Amino acid sequence: MDAMVKRWDSEGSTAVPYWVYTDEENYRTEMNRIWYGPHWLYAGLDAEIPEPGSWKTTTLGERPVIVARSQDGTISVVENRCSHRGVKICLARSGKDESFTCPYHQWSYALDGALQGIPFRRGIKGKGGMPKDFDPKEHGLPRLKVEVVNGVIWASFDKETPSFREYIGEKMWVYYTRIFSGRKLRIIGYNRQLVPSNWKLMMENIKDPYHAALLHVFFATFGLFRPDQKNALEMDETGRHACLMSIMPAAGAGENQDIAASLPGFDASLQLADRRLIETVKELTGDETVGGSTIFPSVILLQQVNSMQTRQIVPKGPGSFELMWTHFGFEDDDESMRARRIRHANLFGPAGFVSADDSEVMQMAQEGYAHAPEERSSIMAMGGAGVQSEDHMATESAIRGMYRYYREVMGL
Amino acid sequence: MNIAIDRQTSLPSRARLADFYDRYFEALDDLRLEEWPEFFVDDCLFEVIPRENWQAGYKLCTIQADSKGMLVDRVQGILKTQVYAPRAFRRFYSGLRATGRNNNGFIETRQNVIVAQTLIDGPSMIHLCGVAYDLLEEAGDGFLFRERIFVIDSEMIPNSFIFPA
Repeated sequence: MDAMVKRWDSEGSTAVPYWVYTDEENYRTEMNRIWYGPHWLYAGLDAEIPEPGSWKTTTLGERPVIVARSQDGTISVVENRCSHRGVKICLARSGKDESFTCPYHQWSYALDGALQGIPFRRGIKGKGGMPKDFDPKEHGLPRLKVEVVNGVIWASFDKETPSFREYIGEKMWVYYTRIFSGRKLRIIGYNRQLVPSNWKLMMENIKDPYHAALLHVFFATFGLFRPDQKNALEMDETGRHACLMSIMPAAGAGENQDIAASLPGFDASLQLADRRLIETVKELTGDETVGGSTIFPSVILLQQVNSMQTRQIVPKGPGSFELMWTHFGFEDDDESMRARRIRHANLFGPAGFVSADDSEVMQMAQEGYAHAPEERSSIMAMGGAGVQSEDHMATESAIRGMYRYYREVMGL
Repeated sequence: MNIAIDRQTSLPSRARLADFYDRYFEALDDLRLEEWPEFFVDDCLFEVIPRENWQAGYKLCTIQADSKGMLVDRVQGILKTQVYAPRAFRRFYSGLRATGRNNNGFIETRQNVIVAQTLIDGPSMIHLCGVAYDLLEEAGDGFLFRERIFVIDSEMIPNSFIFPA
């Protein structure tokens, strides 16, 4: 069989060849240059590990890690495999311990990954044991670079990665701190789904205001998002991160109805039987009703109605990724706000009124790319060829921004 | 009076319970989704909740409805607004048992549930697996759900979760 010819002939980022979503070798390069390169990866929220000794496990890129809080309160992220024989040490999602012990030969590690105990290191009755020159200091669990920024834990495999704030840029910082202002967070719970599509499609989805009112009939029908509403699509200087902000006008504002009514699937007669499903209490500064940030490459930070979530991406080969949803609120939420956030979570997750649409469409896209991927490209020309901020929804500018950066970092 | 006392203390037969659950799952399997809310009282609670949340005391559900109206909205959402590939969804339950009555005299039941999903051109796969803890109210010859809490073992849902269980 002939090898597939992987070409990316077009200039810029208005066309992305399908093989970019399917090719195994390209995926391996992404792992090394993007996921293990000079980028910050989302590792969790510090409210998940509230006390000294609290730990959680997660996966960054394809590598399992342990995120733990030491006795002095500092948070470490270390690789979750024993230095001895490579056995995975922590198998549970979370726990609380004074140290970590490998189940195989009981090698033990401090919460920050330092190797602190080797049974029979000096042998038994003078026989055997580790060589005299074996230095435990050189065999701790590999530690990642870590920053905890207003309640979010970020980790990087590359020691040269710039500070998180520099990494996302000042423009994105404004949107980041809109939710993560330093106010203490409270975990509401998790949803996990395995999406049979390439991980980049998830990033594209949240960078794409064009689809929101078209695919998600629920939005237009129940007045949560309409094509003509005030949008702001902003990117950092590299184009890799983006934030989509939007202001939903007051319900029934005359001229909006025409555009909404022209949408396929729109049925003006549909009404919610229980409006509490979307009834929102204003809680953040500014008039925006929706804010979705993509922090390249690993996470989406999203607020809509009174729901707030992080959506962590864990790639599983070119054709699938795990999507880990962590819903959160604030520590000082009252009972009614706690109940409201859980109710509003119905819009999101694997069964979400406006999220199941996305995971379904991503699967359909991957099925489209699967055959003869070298022949065609995805078209991202809505709103031109440029990469710039926009105040409307008929644009794919932020997707182009991501692929402009992608071509640079991948050398494509 | 005697009947009232009996209702407080005795539990319904397995046959009566099975009849109710067979009808419930049949309506869902046959995609008669409009009938689904009719199995519940008005101020019901329906939850599909991941086991990890259930065990940790986290309240987030994958699907939650705390009124019959919200079940109606779930049906409207699925039938009139959501986009998804065509599929068959079939539910299998076992170990159905009434475990007691709560302080209000409502019947507590539990059952294991497996949900099989079949997509076009695909094999039938187990989509969800878990245990349901329900609270039933006597209604005529049958019952209505006051609560249905389906705790799913499924750590990783295979893509989307469209139809309820």
